[in-house]
Amino acid sequence: MMLTMEEVLALAPDDASAKAARGLAKPTQWPLLGSDDAAAWGECQGSGAKPYQTQVDLSGPAFKCSCPSRKFPCKHGLALLMMRAQEPQLFTVASSPAWVSEWLASRTEKAQKKEERQVEKAATPVDPLQAAKREGQRWQRIEGAASELTRWLADQIARGLGSLNAEALQSWSTMAARMVDAQAPGLGFRVREAAVGIHRGADWPEQTLQRFGMLHLLCEAVQRRERLTPAVQADLRAAVGWPHDRAEVLSSSAALADRWTVLGVATEERDDKLTERRVWLHGQQSGRRALVLDHAFGGRGFEQAWVPGCTVDTALSFFPGAAALRALSADAPAIAGPAHWPHAPLSTEWDGIAGRVSACPWTALHPLVVRQAVVVRTDGRLLAVAEGRALSLVVGDADQWQLLASTGGHVCELMGEWDGQVLKPLTAWAEGQPSPLWQRSAA
Amino acid sequence: MSAVWSPLLPLAMVGTDRHASALPAWPGDVGQLVAQVGSSGDSAASGALRVAAVLATCALAGAQGGEWTTPLPAGASHDSLLELPEGPIRAAVSWALQDGPLRLQHAVFTTLAQGGYRLPLNLLAQALDLGRRTVLFRPLLLSVLGERGLWLASHRDEWRYAAGVSAEEPDDARWNEGSFEQRRAFLQRERAADPQAARERLAQGLDELSAKERADLVAVLAEGLGPDDEPLLDKLLADRSREVRQAACVQLLRLPEAAHTQRAIGRLAPLLASERVLLRQQWKIDAPPAATPDWKADNLDPARPKYESLGERAWWLHQLVRQVPLAWWTQHTGLSAAELLRWAAGTDWTEALLRGWRDVLLAAPDTAWCEAFLDPWPATVLRDDPASVLALLPPALRERHWQRQLVDGSVAFHVMVPQMLHACRAGETLSLPLSVTLVDVICQRAESGVLSDDHALRSVLLELCATLHADVLDRMARLPRHADETASFADTLHAVTHVIGVRQALFQLTTKLTPERMIPETP
Repeated sequence: MMLTMEEVLALAPDDASAKAARGLAKPTQWPLLGSDDAAAWGECQGSGAKPYQTQVDLSGPAFKCSCPSRKFPCKHGLALLMMRAQEPQLFTVASSPAWVSEWLASRTEKAQKKEERQVEKAATPVDPLQAAKREGQRWQRIEGAASELTRWLADQIARGLGSLNAEALQSWSTMAARMVDAQAPGLGFRVREAAVGIHRGADWPEQTLQRFGMLHLLCEAVQRRERLTPAVQADLRAAVGWPHDRAEVLSSSAALADRWTVLGVATEERDDKLTERRVWLHGQQSGRRALVLDHAFGGRGFEQAWVPGCTVDTALSFFPGAAALRALSADAPAIAGPAHWPHAPLSTEWDGIAGRVSACPWTALHPLVVRQAVVVRTDGRLLAVAEGRALSLVVGDADQWQLLASTGGHVCELMGEWDGQVLKPLTAWAEGQPSPLWQRSAA
Repeated sequence: MSAVWSPLLPLAMVGTDRHASALPAWPGDVGQLVAQVGSSGDSAASGALRVAAVLATCALAGAQGGEWTTPLPAGASHDSLLELPEGPIRAAVSWALQDGPLRLQHAVFTTLAQGGYRLPLNLLAQALDLGRRTVLFRPLLLSVLGERGLWLASHRDEWRYAAGVSAEEPDDARWNEGSFEQRRAFLQRERAADPQAARERLAQGLDELSAKERADLVAVLAEGLGPDDEPLLDKLLADRSREVRQAACVQLLRLPEAAHTQRAIGRLAPLLASERVLLRQQWKIDAPPAATPDWKADNLDPARPKYESLGERAWWLHQLVRQVPLAWWTQHTGLSAAELLRWAAGTDWTEALLRGWRDVLLAAPDTAWCEAFLDPWPATVLRDDPASVLALLPPALRERHWQRQLVDGSVAFHVMVPQMLHACRAGETLSLPLSVTLVDVICQRAESGVLSDDHALRSVLLELCATLHADVLDRMARLPRHADETASFADTLHAVTHVIGVRQALFQLTTKLTPERMIPETP
């Protein structure tokens, strides 16, 4: 697998790592450089006497380095791939040293063991009665929490939002905590989100009503759960914060093999050093859209590498649900070539979103591809104008100028996350061009 | 948010307990559904929440942004400048803009401008930010930003300096509508080609220029300055801005026959007298006993600043001295510059004289006076370092001075290098012999381990690498290393190799240029 410079940069855990890696991508820093079909490796002269041993398993790519960095992948791993992308002729050694072949062997062994464990786990019969009992108990707690929340929401509306003050908002935090205690963190998150929005912006009453409406719908749906279809029940379960087990997803649904275009990747730092990554995909044959959602803690990297603006071959298992957006890939995605961008008209995109909302109103973010868009900055606001409509764009300051510089006020194709009000752009490209003009940097 | 929520707002804000009215109605299919679910709630509050649920879902499903009815703003024009080739040069330019020293950035912009290249799109915002912080870069940036960069600059107040008219526009438009940098570049070109036209253009435009712009553009008159410029400069002596008045005074110093200069000489001459002491004729100077009312009109400031080291009368003398050309002193006294400096050291008014002469020297450079000042630099009287005077000398004379200091060791190496850098304008490089000597010293220090602890020298090492002669860069890239060097020193040396790498990439880019692709350097 040969990654381009942009693809390597997309693997960096943050901008600082990318910058540091660029600085290291010089042959003078690397007394040893080698590669074969499976891996690339090198020794990088650091500040110590002993050089760092850096190796990349190209099937992932997966990284290992003897440096003490907590970043993953570290700057050395990134620099190694950058040099391989730019000057492959420097990788002269073709037979891997022991430290590389041992690591590759241990990776293969681990992968085999993991597979065996999964097979073993799948073979071990789960007591269906016990499982159903546990599930029933949890639903009972959630139903209790939902009916308590319904009453609380009605109380707020009965008293009026106009009378809210800091003291009253304290009770909102308490309510959010109670939802978490009742094993419905999704409800708690939505209450907290509504509390944060109070008195923020001129349209906060409308925003709050909208959030309350969605919460109320969720609570009522929980109470009527038994009468809903299995797909909506699955969405409901995800919405209240009871995620489906990944192994269960892999085993329960038939994986959809396709050639996927990586439309965009959003990496955001959450609280407590948690990094969330949302990878948006488009199936070239199936026309399906998919979201691969992952979390990583404390600067550690993600297991799988998804490079925006390229095509990958993989089979996706979709989480159960009517929205059918979230998916996961059992195997590491293999890069198959440059992006093959979708080109449906905007009306088809809106239809897709409307269909998804009607199937599952709690889907927070929708992938949206805006064709023939012009990025415009007017009165301090960034907009994407297409087909007589203007979508507000929300993007970091540095990214905003890069997006403007890349598009130059001309027509481009834009992909982003749509929440019903604003579009968070992730990728922009020119029609007919496989490589993106612009990508959002990791936040 | 759309107006769809407005009917529900009074109810939600006041509260259903106090607002007993019926739920409002909405049109269409959504309205029917709202009517159906709103009436089926257990309470008014629960009904309102159900309505909110329907509205929220429908709003999400039907949202398609706002309407856009006005014409789209113009996009960036097509760029006629060349795109920078793919490969190491792009990474080099990117590193230089991100982490490189100022001189290297200057070299990048100059090389690109000379080759007719434009900056890659992903570096435009960064380059505009550099121009915001460093005024020196602005004229160069105008040549490498391309149409896209100029267009981008028009979107942000901080980048307005570059947001002029398109580079393709005719000259008149660049003067009338261009950014300040574009106007100055235009005026400089016009001054070189037709001094009178440029002077008239400036005179006509004075009213609409800010004080800072007026002061900046007066300096353009230095090119081809002549007696014809005197009326305009005289008029500027009465400008309401002190900065502009001083800029005009500086230009008038270079016109010995100008009325203003003659008045200054007329004030100073009576204070300088020749008297016979024993058998020798000796010059004697006295400070003015009092300030006269006509001083103000000629920009002489009788009020001594609060923290001024000169006494009141010395301050007055200093004011008079800085308006008189240096040539008058040598002609009037028959003494050379070096003799005058020695004479001044023996008077009661040394500081007033030396500071005044130094100011005049900076405004109207003179090699003999520079040499006299530097041999040796009167460090006890003039507290700043000699770099500003060294910068006035032609490079060969300047370097002779440093070579002498390197041999006699009168100035510490880590003091001399910053002085050299200060004296060399951005874009200038040191000669090969001096560069070889400097690299010899640095190599010795690296070998002995002294360089690692010499933080003063380390702090200017990158700037020095950007200024050394190209033929010594290979040696600089191979400085002796030690296994136990600190991480921060390793980083410094790593940055050194980067600076050298960028310079080599720029040389390669330059050598690729065929004569017909070279365009003249923008003034």
